[in-house]
Amino acid sequence: MAFVLAVAVAGTGALTACGGDDEGGDGNVTLTFWTHTHPPMIDLNKKLIAEYESKHPNVKIEYQQIPNTEFATKMLTSLSTGAGPDIINMDDNALRGEYFPKRLLSPIDPAGFGKSSVEEVEAEYVPGTLDGAKDAEGKLYGVPSEFNGTAFAINTKHFKDAGLDPANPPKTWQDVVDYGKKLNAAGHKQAFNFLYLHSGWYNQWFQTLANQTGGSILSQDGKTATLTSDGSKKALQLWVELARTSGIADPKTSSRDATAPYQDLASGVQSMAIVYPWSMDQIKGSNPDTYKDLAVVPLPQVDAAAQPVSRVYGYFWSVNAASKRKSEAWQFIAYLASARDRWLTDVSFVQPVKGWESSAPAKQIPFIDVIAQAYANGRYDQVGPHWNEVQDTIHKAVDEAVFDGKPVDQVLTEANEAVQRSIGS
Amino acid sequence: MTTTTARPVRVPGSSRAPGRRRRVHGRDLVGAALSLPALLLFAFFAIYPGLRVFYLSLFDYSLTAPPEFVGLDNFRFLAEDPRFRQAVLNSLFYTVGTYLPALALALALAVVLRRRMRGLGWVRLLYFLPVATSWVAISVVWRLVLHPDGLLNETLHIDVNWLTSSSTARWALVIMGIWKETGFFLILFLAGLARMPEDVHEAALVDGANTWQRFWRVTFPLLKPITAICSVIAVIRGFQAFSPQVVLTGGAFDTEVVNLFVYKTAFESARMGRASAVAVLMFLLLIAVTLVQLRVFRRNDV
Repeated sequence: MAFVLAVAVAGTGALTACGGDDEGGDGNVTLTFWTHTHPPMIDLNKKLIAEYESKHPNVKIEYQQIPNTEFATKMLTSLSTGAGPDIINMDDNALRGEYFPKRLLSPIDPAGFGKSSVEEVEAEYVPGTLDGAKDAEGKLYGVPSEFNGTAFAINTKHFKDAGLDPANPPKTWQDVVDYGKKLNAAGHKQAFNFLYLHSGWYNQWFQTLANQTGGSILSQDGKTATLTSDGSKKALQLWVELARTSGIADPKTSSRDATAPYQDLASGVQSMAIVYPWSMDQIKGSNPDTYKDLAVVPLPQVDAAAQPVSRVYGYFWSVNAASKRKSEAWQFIAYLASARDRWLTDVSFVQPVKGWESSAPAKQIPFIDVIAQAYANGRYDQVGPHWNEVQDTIHKAVDEAVFDGKPVDQVLTEANEAVQRSIGS
Repeated sequence: MTTTTARPVRVPGSSRAPGRRRRVHGRDLVGAALSLPALLLFAFFAIYPGLRVFYLSLFDYSLTAPPEFVGLDNFRFLAEDPRFRQAVLNSLFYTVGTYLPALALALALAVVLRRRMRGLGWVRLLYFLPVATSWVAISVVWRLVLHPDGLLNETLHIDVNWLTSSSTARWALVIMGIWKETGFFLILFLAGLARMPEDVHEAALVDGANTWQRFWRVTFPLLKPITAICSVIAVIRGFQAFSPQVVLTGGAFDTEVVNLFVYKTAFESARMGRASAVAVLMFLLLIAVTLVQLRVFRRNDV
């Protein structure tokens, strides 16, 4: 490994700029485009690329998919060395935590969208939904390929087995525990589980709960770790209660395969799960029988009487700062973004343009009203410097509290020190 | 005045007298020319990057901006970093836990497998197969073995979640490591035994030494040079561990070893200077441990 590191660091600076600079004398342009792997998304990307190439015979799109487990690392490393693709598709956590501070991306070019200003591009989208692609100064670096609100799925068949009414889903996390015990009694031992896939997933669950308990990872100015605050402790305590002390499911038996999330829900083993629009589409494709039994309901809250709080996140199409074909890249992105109805019908990816929820394809998706409501209550995750290290720290703290049974106070005190060390160095 | 011309003194083992230049033959030049590409590649891919890592360990470098000199700050940070300390301890645990048993097992097996018996070649092949297979492939298979409903639990009639607890995950990696690495050392010990003269064993037998005495008084002392090499390799391989930790646990549950820490620091956090500092520390540590090992074995007449 030291050798790999040595070669990597020694080679930096010797690497050439990214693809897309091979315009021949005949005016042909090659654009490179990377995404992670999500089969329905890949299928639509390939179709749109073929259409775009037929409409623009001088443009060739080289499309690559990177396995989810190595996607973030490969993308960050390649862009950091001045290489990487012309067009990327990346989540807002990575963009705000790593890409913007390192100036790896190019600000949006409104001309590519046929607009005269960035404000004109923004005006098409629901206010606030583009915040995930804005840097600290408010400059916009991309448009969403998908915008996800957080909802909750229940297996209605399991509910009926347990004598529960699927029309009366859990409204609070305490309901989840109570219902879970009844589901256990009916033989459904995986009543509710989080997905323990990698640090990013741990972070999103923690922030989902912390949004409701008033917790946070960093102070408002991003300079101080706040994991020892009451709200943060309550969030982890709630996680421990749901996963460990309530006994409604054994987190150790949860599927941990990051390349195929939601296996337990899709296979009909798990009864309740936190979901996103794309997860339902994935289950529909892989296990249509189970999908028929699932209902999507609002995310349970800590306090049912309080204003609901949810979490949103997005993936954004952006252009590499080192690209030699920025203008062409933005034109292609504009084409991808214009297929907003097909993203909904084919992949269940929401393009959060104004009025999307009342479009004909949106109305075909049975649970879309729940998702739309989740957007209204949603908050983007908190993100700070050296966020990968911070997420690793959250991961470790949760493992210690949930799997090893260490006291929440202790693990969060240690995690707080580690986060402070990461952001301050 | 009488002058005495000293005669050249021949150095034992030397084929030529000192002071006389050896003629360079054409075939030497051809040999040197043929070696040159390999030497250049080695210099470019090993020596230069190694030196560059030493250099970068003194800088704050995130790839996107020019390196900024910070002196020994990276080393200072690491000295105070509990995560790095834990990674070193995890590497130490894995190295000792895996390689001490693997060495002992390999030695015992080598003594047994040295004897001539039917099907011995196949037995040796079976032990060597895990060595020839990649860590990643083996780790994927072991994930299935260590699954709650996997082969290990089913065989032992136990219910242990091996990979989801700090108390078991590190042991799971050790068990897998012993299984994978024993064959490697077995081959080395077998090679050592094959070179061992039979007459010393026969003499010991004539003197009335039993099997145990023959092993401890004859076989083991004669194998010390091989044991020294094996133990040096074992420490280096132990601290180079990376793939099984990535595949089986991703570094969770106290299995983040030093190399995984380096990888995350360099490629997930883009802190190249700090990752280089870890690489430098590990290089120095392994050099020191190797020297100590060699000295210990030398003191014992190896």
